[in-house]
Amino acid sequence: MNLHLILPEIVVVAGGMLAVAVDLLAPASRKGRAAPWVAGLALLAATLLVVLGRPEGTSFFGHHRSDAFSRFVRAVATGGGVLLVLISAPYTRRMDRGHGEFYGLLLFALVGVMLVGAVTDLMGLFVCLELLTITSYVLAAFKRTDVRSAEAGLKYLVVGAVSSAFLLFGVATVYGAAGSVEFASLSAHVVGKGFSPLLALGTGMMLVGLFFKVSAVPFHVWAPDVYQGAPTPVTAFLSSVSKSAGFVLLLRVASVLVVPAAGTASGDAWVSFFGVAASLTLLYGNLAAIPQKDVKRLLAYSSIGHAGYMLLGLAALVATADPTVRVDAATAVLVYVFAYYVTTTTAFTVVAVVSAQGKGHRAETAYAGLHRRSPLLAFAMLLALLSLAGVPPMAGLIGKFLVFWSVVGAAQSHPSVVVLGLVGALGVVLSLYYYLLLIREMYAKDPSPEGGPATIRVPAAARVSVAIGIAALVGLGIYWAPVYDVARGAAEALFASR
Amino acid sequence: MNLPLLVLLLPAVSTAVLFLVPASKPAVVKRVAFVGTLATLAVAVFMALTYATTDAPTETAANGHVYKHVLSVPWVPSLGLQLKLGVDGIGVAMVLLTALTIFTGVCVSFSVKERAKEFFLNLLALVTGVFGVFVSLDLFFYYFFYELAVIPMFLLIGCWGSTTKTMSRDYASMKLVLMLTTGAVFALVGLLSVYVKAKTFDMVRLETLATQGLFDRSFQMTWFPPVFLGFAALVPMWPLHSWSPGGHAAAPAAVSMLHAGVLMKLGAYGILRVAVTYMPDAAAVYLPWVGVLCCFNIVYGGLVAMAQRDMKFVVGYSSSSHMGYVLLGIATANVIGVQGAVFLMFAHGIMTALAFSLIGFFYEQTHTRMLEDLGGLMKKLPFVGTCFVIMSMASAGLPGFANFVSELLVIVGAWHAGMYVPAVLATWGIVVTGVYLLRTVKDAFLGTMPRRWEGLVDARTPFQKMPFVVLVSTLLFFGFNPQALLTLISDGVKPIVSAVDAAKARTGGVETGSRR
Repeated sequence: MNLHLILPEIVVVAGGMLAVAVDLLAPASRKGRAAPWVAGLALLAATLLVVLGRPEGTSFFGHHRSDAFSRFVRAVATGGGVLLVLISAPYTRRMDRGHGEFYGLLLFALVGVMLVGAVTDLMGLFVCLELLTITSYVLAAFKRTDVRSAEAGLKYLVVGAVSSAFLLFGVATVYGAAGSVEFASLSAHVVGKGFSPLLALGTGMMLVGLFFKVSAVPFHVWAPDVYQGAPTPVTAFLSSVSKSAGFVLLLRVASVLVVPAAGTASGDAWVSFFGVAASLTLLYGNLAAIPQKDVKRLLAYSSIGHAGYMLLGLAALVATADPTVRVDAATAVLVYVFAYYVTTTTAFTVVAVVSAQGKGHRAETAYAGLHRRSPLLAFAMLLALLSLAGVPPMAGLIGKFLVFWSVVGAAQSHPSVVVLGLVGALGVVLSLYYYLLLIREMYAKDPSPEGGPATIRVPAAARVSVAIGIAALVGLGIYWAPVYDVARGAAEALFASR
Repeated sequence: MNLPLLVLLLPAVSTAVLFLVPASKPAVVKRVAFVGTLATLAVAVFMALTYATTDAPTETAANGHVYKHVLSVPWVPSLGLQLKLGVDGIGVAMVLLTALTIFTGVCVSFSVKERAKEFFLNLLALVTGVFGVFVSLDLFFYYFFYELAVIPMFLLIGCWGSTTKTMSRDYASMKLVLMLTTGAVFALVGLLSVYVKAKTFDMVRLETLATQGLFDRSFQMTWFPPVFLGFAALVPMWPLHSWSPGGHAAAPAAVSMLHAGVLMKLGAYGILRVAVTYMPDAAAVYLPWVGVLCCFNIVYGGLVAMAQRDMKFVVGYSSSSHMGYVLLGIATANVIGVQGAVFLMFAHGIMTALAFSLIGFFYEQTHTRMLEDLGGLMKKLPFVGTCFVIMSMASAGLPGFANFVSELLVIVGAWHAGMYVPAVLATWGIVVTGVYLLRTVKDAFLGTMPRRWEGLVDARTPFQKMPFVVLVSTLLFFGFNPQALLTLISDGVKPIVSAVDAAKARTGGVETGSRR
């Protein structure tokens, strides 16, 4: 069985159950004190296990593979999970019930993410993704007395169910066409026999199901409402964890099914599929973000735009005929996922603290003159926004740089891809515009009387999370060799394990 | 210690130190900024003085282009990315210009009262980026520092800028950042194509590969336009110039100084260092068109400057007019013209920094720069007024100032290159410059003084006078002793020019061959 290979997952699951149990047993006056600690420590332990131990090999009869790729995904999930707990702690302190459940669900969802990097067949893929998605529905509706949160949960449930149906139907169709759900034999099938119409249909439906998860246009409509309505820590979770899981799976499906067809006519069709999806997502997300006044909504549209950049990397991945460029592209997507994760978590930490003042998320009230009300929060938000825009010396620049790089590299074997590079360049300028509008609101305007108290008290947990965020944003932006090397190792493992 | 690294680290470390200084102690903040930039200036002067004789590590590209003070630190080894620093003669001149501008800029910013800590933080972050561009020999870091220099501009103009009837600081700052970023990202796509072709970001190696003909003609013809236009937006070349005068006008004095004095030179520097050096064949084809477009800069910019009533707009449009001469010099693609262009980059940087520092000095007291509100200021501001007259003379290209030498070189170069019409237009451009600047002097400093300016105070203390004296004497020094700078510049210019010459010879040969 090789149980030691899934020790990190076991630790997180145990932590989740312990968080629920501890909260149940605690006396009423002390509810909610222990659960964040249990969850945070479990995730920290799992992070250490992932980073320090180097599990390699398969377990569960080959259904679970531990390699450099799954290690990267697990590290992102657990390390990012610690940040999410730090964001959630001030939030859950204000709740009167359900502390244990909140952290329990969060940890179970994270286990789903940890597993998506390690699955070896389509069934495992579906199960892991459902573990993540079903817990997310509950989390999005966690503030159940709040209409918006309930709306968010319901919307997410309906759209999520539809996307799961797409995914599952795609899996079934692929099985019907290729006679297997295992990644290795699927690749072999595509190499040997190419794409039959049925297989193409199945693959397309799976990709559509995953496009829902990563909120790619035209399957994005749920994102703004859900992001806005869900409790802010949950929004942070959706835009970071959930999105990265979607992209890990897209990388997997693309490398298993689409890449073997590169260079053939059906391969070219997939290039257009990804290229069009990427361009639409990128342009729509960034254009629709411009008129947004609500910061959570703005970040929702911006996250659609960022999905576009990651899809740009995927388009490069399926377009190129050069294996080196393919690894470059997968590395770019992974680094982008990581950088976006760090950035968006930092941004939502700020949003969570600012909105805790109870004055909403409107840019021109809650964020006006933020630098006077809390220099630390304003500075963290400034760096996060610059990182989202891809400006040096922030982490976001590295992600964008590598994506552009792989796109230009892929243009060598597929010249029309260079258009995607120019679309991406346009997207940078569009996004810079609305990020700068918010930066102006924070730094060049005076605080608004409706914006809440003149100084914002930042809870200790948020301080820690902001400090980690700032250090990671700037550190990764300036010296990114270690992260790059780990991501590259993961990308190589992705293709080696096929 | 590697001098370019020192030039980069001194402002970067000052920025970091400023972070630690509490905002409630503006005096300490200013002292840190002053010491940091003074030290940088000292290093830059030392580097310029010892450049010819230094025994620091050098690296030579295949075309004979020598870079000195080369230092390379592996940064992302698996990508072959390195932090590679080094300078050639052009780089040294630009570092000196930047150091002079930021030092005097910090001196005149001592009067900033509001949010002084953040102001100096942004100012030093900006200048770190500018120095980074001038000393980088790796395209990744080149882009990295280039973008780094743009963003602080937004905050500096957006938070400390001025709003006038014609231009709000919100509009100006946004337009500036968006246009420059557009240019930068499109240039980035071009730079990445260069990488994909050459598999290296090392600029010396790229120059060698370009000399050996790695970049074929169709590649050059495709990628020269995005790279060139990306940088030309920053120069700013007509018709991409519209961000620039408004940006100047809305920015606080020190920022206008850096912006017009140095930032615009980044564009011209990028054109020379990247676009023309790596793609000489395309340059030989496209540069004559640049020679046409720059006439719009010179003439149109000058005529628009004539119509302005806001002094900062006068100088702003005059800047885009003068940058037209720089573009003309580059377009000539001969040694005289390009030397003139680089010399003018230096001279115009100093001159325009002087102009904006002077305008900033009395704007702080008058809160208006409109010519109809001013008049007779010479009575109350004899020192500043005299400096302004000197600046006008320099700008109009009077012999004795560095500007005269450089503009003369550009025009002679243009004549040699057979660009007779641009050369004649450029000569007339000098007359236009004379008209609007002399009229500005007349309206603002001569004539009768409105009674409300009775209380104006001139630059009195030596510290107040010092930045103006430094800038004026720099202009005069290089005006009387141009060879000092030309020797520095020429060894950087010659390889670029000879590459374009070779390209012209190749195309000429092909064309005559096909005609036969």
